[in-house]
Amino acid sequence: MTLKEKIKTLGNAYGVSGDEFAVARLAAGMLEPYVDRVEIDKFGNVAGYKSCGKPGAKTLMLDAHIDEIGFLVTGITKEGFLRFVGMGVDQRMLPGSTLNVMTHTRGNILGVVGAVPPHLQAPGDNTRALPIEKLYVDIGMSYEEACQTVRIGDYMTFTSQAFDLLGDQVCGKSLDDRACFCCLLHALELLQGKTLDVDLVILGTTKEEIGGHGASYRTYVDHPDLAIAIDVCHARTDDNLPGDRVQELGGGPVIAVGTNSVPRFARKVMELARAKQIPFQLSAAPAATGTNAWSMQIVGEGCATLVISLPLKYMHSPVEVLKMSDVENVGRLLAELAMDIDGRWHL
Amino acid sequence: MCDANRVTEILKILCACDGVAGYEDEVRQAIENLAAPHADQMMTDALGNLLVFKKGRQHREKPLAVCAHMDEVGFMVREITEKGMLKFLTVGSIDPRVMIGRKLRVGPKKLPGVISLKAIHLTTPKERAVAPSAGSLYIDIGARSRAEAEQYVQIGDPCYFDSPFEEFGNGRIKSKAIDDRIGCAVMVALLEEELPYDTWFVFATNEEIGGNRGALVAANRLQPGHFLVIEGTTACDVPDVPAHGHSCTQEKGCVVSILDKGSVYSRPLINQITAKADAEGIRWQYRRSANGFTDARALHIAAAGARGMGIATPTRYIHCAVNVVCKCDIESVLQMARLFVKECHDNA
Repeated sequence: MTLKEKIKTLGNAYGVSGDEFAVARLAAGMLEPYVDRVEIDKFGNVAGYKSCGKPGAKTLMLDAHIDEIGFLVTGITKEGFLRFVGMGVDQRMLPGSTLNVMTHTRGNILGVVGAVPPHLQAPGDNTRALPIEKLYVDIGMSYEEACQTVRIGDYMTFTSQAFDLLGDQVCGKSLDDRACFCCLLHALELLQGKTLDVDLVILGTTKEEIGGHGASYRTYVDHPDLAIAIDVCHARTDDNLPGDRVQELGGGPVIAVGTNSVPRFARKVMELARAKQIPFQLSAAPAATGTNAWSMQIVGEGCATLVISLPLKYMHSPVEVLKMSDVENVGRLLAELAMDIDGRWHL
Repeated sequence: MCDANRVTEILKILCACDGVAGYEDEVRQAIENLAAPHADQMMTDALGNLLVFKKGRQHREKPLAVCAHMDEVGFMVREITEKGMLKFLTVGSIDPRVMIGRKLRVGPKKLPGVISLKAIHLTTPKERAVAPSAGSLYIDIGARSRAEAEQYVQIGDPCYFDSPFEEFGNGRIKSKAIDDRIGCAVMVALLEEELPYDTWFVFATNEEIGGNRGALVAANRLQPGHFLVIEGTTACDVPDVPAHGHSCTQEKGCVVSILDKGSVYSRPLINQITAKADAEGIRWQYRRSANGFTDARALHIAAAGARGMGIATPTRYIHCAVNVVCKCDIESVLQMARLFVKECHDNA
């Protein structure tokens, strides 16, 4: 499987925060060839260990999350349609979309989010977004059938089969943040056959979209010296306003600098990127980064955290867009860092 | 349900085709391929209508035309921005709210493209309550400059929802363009049968842009005595809509129109055919709305005028990427169309 195929395979899989097990199995399978051992813990986190075998070696933890944004079924109408709430989704993405219902009885089934028929609209109605509480999912069933198939509390996700756009760009759902897990795989690929002086812990963590719980758990268990959250950041789109904090698609890894992406750590990585001629971008992060680094930093006695981001357009939509060169450069930067950390390396 | 199964197979073929008004070639070609073994005469006129004649066991005194339209609603490239984004117009009416987050096929190369919005994190709740106008949206094909985009796309190129045919739920089908490939599919299925009387089948162009200009010139040519229009019509049997606003209901059978904004259908004919349908156990319902119009508008006033009926498959969420129909209704529409072709003649 090529790197791009791995991104598409993971992105197409279904796993909302708290039920990432199907994605975890796929991710673990992809990780296995590169590490000494892989485990899936009770949260559904994937952890792979690649030990250098040297006493006193530092532990570098590289994290990407494997959960995705989604929806929760909150009701079944008397006509058999599903009512729902969203978790991290712009309601304007929904009318005319298809959703995947992760049912407890029949696995994944297709649902359709309808739109208000034109003849029931007043003039000007189409300038107002349809509020999510007015929307419903049509699963083509009667009330009785729907009740037998779907349970209140079942998750739903966007559906999308990832595809290519021009310029070696990939479009699909859940590239946030499974593409970043593939950046880790790429780094490991580049490290094949290399001698390291650092122990690596490679993570595909759960529940990031609702607070970074999976990453906290693994940080507690694995006790890293250094922990890097690899997550997506906003790439510039045509509808950005001047105040939007965006990075350039194709501009390379984005290194965050601030209290949650420790400035000394960030500077070392920048120097390394310059030395290795890896393009990079910088992002000012004065407080929370909105990534797993926020929860990892304060686990136990704390650890040095860093945030490296992959530029992504249309984040949290069914049509997120990334550029392959960015995926490769994030992977390269992480591999170079792993090779750079020796016994004398310090922050 | 074997009848519905055949129509479903044909529908799947036709829904995979793309064709907005003026660009119906791909749809027409697919229908020609399906119809050719069963047709006695086929022609394409100046507007791109495909007219298919099939001899029946008996001659008909005045021609009868069965009509459905081939075109679908879609998009057209209006401008390519400096940054390589495509500004667009709609071909036919599409609510801008159903465009966001959708995948499209762009231009003759069928390049993938998407319409989206910047990330939710960069918006306020107030902004998310506003629906952007079509004019403010754009199609992203991944091009980084106008020059790069122009290698693949030019102004005037049609674009389509990329939303495949899928079966789901209890006998449901979801796809783009079911309006009105479903009418075309029912007609092709009829063409494959032995017919009691000579019949013309009009696969019309240019329905979604108004004016029913495709059907008009076809009617002028054929001068039918009777016509039947087969459509996909809005089923509004969804939550928060009172029963009297449903217009029609899925799983309740073939929809029969009384009137709309383009035509008044022949009441004696409706009575005659529906009485027969009742006798034969064909499920049908009235269209409980007077909105919209169909190609009947052109067919019933062409030349010296014609009597006709408009029937339809109840279709949820028309004019977006996810039209939904029910197989049991398709069955009823085919039965009704077959009945019409058999019962409707001026022969002594």
